[in-house]
Amino acid sequence: MKHGLNQIVPNVVVCVWLAMGFLIVQPVSAEEKVAATAQPDSTESSVSVSAPMVKGTLPADDPTAAVWNSATLAKFPMSPQVHWPNRILDATVKDLNVRALHDGTNVSILLEYADPTEDPDDSAAVEFMVGDKKAHFAHGQPMAQVEGGPVNIWYWKNKDDKGVDMNAKGFGTIKVQTHQDVKAKGVYANGTWKVVFTRPLATEHPDEDTQITPGGFINIAFAVWDGKKDASGELKEKGSQKAVTSWWNFRAEAPPNYDGYYYAAIAVGLALGFQFVLIRKLKKGHSA
Amino acid sequence: MGPLIKLIVLNVVVYAILKFVVPNVPGSAPLPASLVFLYMMLTTSGFVIFATVSAESKEAFWGPIQRFLTGENIGGLQALRYGVLILFPLLVGWQTYNSTAVSDAPPSENRTIHPAPPGEYTGLSNPISKTPDAIQQGKGFYAAFCSPCHGGNFDGKGPAARGFNPPPANFSDPTTIAMLQESYLFWRIKKGGVGLPIEGMPWKSAMPRWEVELPDEWIWKIIMGEYDGAHQSPRTWE
Repeated sequence: MKHGLNQIVPNVVVCVWLAMGFLIVQPVSAEEKVAATAQPDSTESSVSVSAPMVKGTLPADDPTAAVWNSATLAKFPMSPQVHWPNRILDATVKDLNVRALHDGTNVSILLEYADPTEDPDDSAAVEFMVGDKKAHFAHGQPMAQVEGGPVNIWYWKNKDDKGVDMNAKGFGTIKVQTHQDVKAKGVYANGTWKVVFTRPLATEHPDEDTQITPGGFINIAFAVWDGKKDASGELKEKGSQKAVTSWWNFRAEAPPNYDGYYYAAIAVGLALGFQFVLIRKLKKGHSA
Repeated sequence: MGPLIKLIVLNVVVYAILKFVVPNVPGSAPLPASLVFLYMMLTTSGFVIFATVSAESKEAFWGPIQRFLTGENIGGLQALRYGVLILFPLLVGWQTYNSTAVSDAPPSENRTIHPAPPGEYTGLSNPISKTPDAIQQGKGFYAAFCSPCHGGNFDGKGPAARGFNPPPANFSDPTTIAMLQESYLFWRIKKGGVGLPIEGMPWKSAMPRWEVELPDEWIWKIIMGEYDGAHQSPRTWE
């Protein structure tokens, strides 16, 4: 018996050593994972919009409310829309700042961008995929080898100052929905537009509206039109002539979850118990 | 030197070599932490086997550990023992908390940059003779249609490029058009981003489907202009 114990104890000690080594190395590998997923070419831009959950009413009518500061700022560069004619090679808006909040029922998304002039036709839009099928970021353009789905577009124009809930599956197929769930409000000050879009996280029309489940990532893209008119009275940007972004990620944050603390407490208890048993056995081995 | 000290020194040396020497060997790259850990574990296992072959060496190896954990009258080591006994459960708890915490990182996407083209686009040869005139014309078309995104310097840094993810290809990079055949470029220009197979994530690409705007002849000339301007040659099978 004593002999067997003498062999077991060293093995147990090796396990503890290896476990400690693993604990020391693990955080390093976690850091590497983060570095690998970071965007290589974008020191300034974000990859995701995260909407924290707030208590109380969402600032759906107030793009300047102080509560917006509790949301992390996401920055996205914009490009002129070049994918499809009529394209445009230089759009007014070059950068877009995005913040988002949700209250468990509704989500509000705030777009903020520089535009030197306030014009009645200034417009902005947020775009999502609908359902499980992937959709091309340019209005859900048909793809040759992949069956795509529709996109859901939330649109706002200064002169109407309201949200319009739309769908598209390719350029020229845009359709205003019969049921309107999106609210929008824009405020212009100091050469900057602040436009907030608000909608329930979930709606009764999953075939047309994107459904937002807290905790899950979905795709999001943006478009902005400068409604300025040129010398001949023509709009500088309209229709497919606009500033756009590619698909990025959006997530409404899940309510706080304390499971991690419970698991950690159980793990500490197990480790203490392990130490207690180990030292008792070692002492018995010695004295025997 | 006691065997325990030897093991620690050995592991430090192995770690230093893997972390600082190996990445600097020409043609090598930094090793992932999981691989470094695996090598250190192998070193430790090997050492433990070696150190415990005889009863005496076994005692020399395990004795100090056993005395450290349970021995009496160990003086200053007493404090260290309590330190280890307190820190170990805390480390386990911390690690458990970290591994159960919800990740803030969006799902990673593995996009294939140069997926296989459809069969009808493999092995086509450029039907336009490679004359200075044709190349010059191709460069003109390139400047008009491609350079807003792919850049006047063929480096993927055109004025319209910055909002797109994935970014427009950099033709001066030896891993883009220099690795591809002319027929591959013909397919990519003609069918655009929406022509990609699923592994190329066509829903993310801003590349236009130029077949609806440009005749084939112009596309072949653009290809010539691109290779010439980027100082690259198409890949051939000879």
